[in-house]
Amino acid sequence: MKNELTLSFLAIEENEALARMAMTCFITPLDPTLEEISEFKTIVSEAVTNAIIHGYECDGKSLVTIHATIEDRLIKMTVKDEGMGIFDVEQAMEPMFTTKPQMERSGMGFTIMESFADCIRVDSTLGAGTIVTFEKNFSPVTEVSRMR
Amino acid sequence: MATITQLENGIVLITLAGELDNHEANQIRTEVSTAIFTGKTRAIIWDLYKLGFMDSAGIGLILGRMRDLAPVNGETLILNPSPTMEKIFQFSGLSAVIRKCTVEEAIDEIGGVVHEK
Repeated sequence: MKNELTLSFLAIEENEALARMAMTCFITPLDPTLEEISEFKTIVSEAVTNAIIHGYECDGKSLVTIHATIEDRLIKMTVKDEGMGIFDVEQAMEPMFTTKPQMERSGMGFTIMESFADCIRVDSTLGAGTIVTFEKNFSPVTEVSRMR
Repeated sequence: MATITQLENGIVLITLAGELDNHEANQIRTEVSTAIFTGKTRAIIWDLYKLGFMDSAGIGLILGRMRDLAPVNGETLILNPSPTMEKIFQFSGLSAVIRKCTVEEAIDEIGGVVHEK
């Protein structure tokens, strides 16, 4: 199947749940397994949370934009903000690294995204924003699950 | 949502439900911290059997409370995470405190360790 979606929303924390819900609906026609849904939701949640709290520092007026395509069983997704950008992407992707320990951010967001997505790319420019790109292939639907 | 129960022997049981993301963690952090600092908490049991979703914000919340308990050598056990949550705990080095058991069994384990001291 083929489908495409663009979703923009304000940088407020309440929209983390909105993004997860919308993106879960978007992949539902692929008939993913529960674990695939759960891992995909986690990727969305981590990327969107980063955009809201790091990119825009929850400014409540800027927009986060998700763009996603489905081709056959491959989903490609970008999460974009036009916020402050990442000073050092390599460092930001290290496990346990966080610039916001006072907010109890664990620094595990990128590690989780890397583990649950098939591939991830981070393009960031200081003062201009960040685009995180993912690809995830969903497993083929088996005959058994089709009959359920 | 967090349901917090003060059990005997300074054990606090926190049952999480719904979706634990950054927004939710910020909502419940104060409530959880207050419960821990009220009374002499020496162990926390997090029961996740009702939790539908958790991202790295859950790791931040739990690690934060482990730090709160560090001065008293407090213990933490995490019960019944989903397979995806279990992976997230593994990435974060928390595999050792995960249990698949009932709350009663977890209390026994904590109680037992303390008696040995």
